[in-house]
Amino acid sequence: MIRIGHYLNQFFAGVGGEEHANHPPEVRPGPLGPGRALQGLLKGEGGVASTLLCGDNFFHEHAEAAQGAVRAWLRESRLDLVLAGPAFAAGRYGAACAEVCRLAEETGVPAVTGLHPENPGLLIYKRAYVVPTGNSAAGMAPALASMLALGRRRVGGTPPGPAEVEGYLPRGIRRPGLREGTGADRAAAMLVAKLKGERFQTEIPVESYDAVPPAPPVAAMSRARLGVVTTGGVVPKGNPDHIRRCSETRWQRYSLAGLDALSPEAFECVHGGFFNLPACANPNLVLPLDILRTLEREGAFATLLDSYCATCGNDQRLADCKRNGAEIARWLREQQANAALLVAT
Amino acid sequence: MGIPVTVISALPPLAMQAGANRVVQGVKIEHVCGDPSLSAAADRALRRRLVERALQALQVAVDGPTLF
Repeated sequence: MIRIGHYLNQFFAGVGGEEHANHPPEVRPGPLGPGRALQGLLKGEGGVASTLLCGDNFFHEHAEAAQGAVRAWLRESRLDLVLAGPAFAAGRYGAACAEVCRLAEETGVPAVTGLHPENPGLLIYKRAYVVPTGNSAAGMAPALASMLALGRRRVGGTPPGPAEVEGYLPRGIRRPGLREGTGADRAAAMLVAKLKGERFQTEIPVESYDAVPPAPPVAAMSRARLGVVTTGGVVPKGNPDHIRRCSETRWQRYSLAGLDALSPEAFECVHGGFFNLPACANPNLVLPLDILRTLEREGAFATLLDSYCATCGNDQRLADCKRNGAEIARWLREQQANAALLVAT
Repeated sequence: MGIPVTVISALPPLAMQAGANRVVQGVKIEHVCGDPSLSAAADRALRRRLVERALQALQVAVDGPTLF
């Protein structure tokens, strides 16, 4: 009988939304929320013995306490398998799920999670066994089924084969094996396909998150023109360009001319990935214009650019992030910015 | 020649894993650059320290992702 431990955030555990993201770790017996669907898939082979729930903000802001709680749960629950999430595209939740998987594997308990292929949580623990999911909880049922299927393989039965065969996300592990044909033949075939515009499969994937060589430091800050960029979704009140709370593809520029601070009457925060009421009440908490103006007057730098660049980073596709970044950089260059601040949430 | 950027983030490990070279730890996800539970003056002082650290980071040469 498989004893499964299920990790959930505050939302899927039924505690509440973003306003409960600081909920401390809590263990409850049996399945909760989507764990019940998981239980239904198990058909007598075992059950969800225990659920650990934790607020998404708590997990990261009190990392030691959260990790301690996970370890205690693993020790006391005698689990055969840990399933975390699925978290879909949720970044903090995904990062927490990846960390839970890492801690489970450390104690010898196999773990599986479900994440959208661009979930930044994948950066936390690259060896995690992750089934790819869509970006919304509409895909909960197939995600749970895939997670359970992979989990079963890891607990007993035939061990999982390569990622590209089994369908889980690549873990960055290469094992020796034999391919059909010589390397020269395979490389030539790949080149021909590429030239024809046909699909081809690289044998060595390059990681999507690029390392960027650091720009040299600002030589004379007091003479510097400073640009401000935010992915925190701070926009003029009324959101005139309808920046999306989630899955935004573009970015906008908004004027800071004549403003000494961002007022809640003139600006708001439309980011849908965190509890944004504090940011709406005081947008300077995300875009620190009040302090920047003070420092500008004091000569800490020469001048703030007339406009700031804004987007909502919540579930923004990597391809869009890269393009937006390139366009923003081009604009900063045109404005002769010497440096930039990027406030991320 | 690139433009130096300091990222202020509540989750520096993610920012650094994603390739940000100059990173400053923000306060919390909901209020990266301050703390609304403090008095207005204390909140501004906190915000000022954070922004000053970010400006300082812009003036330091780094080899790769660095937390300031």
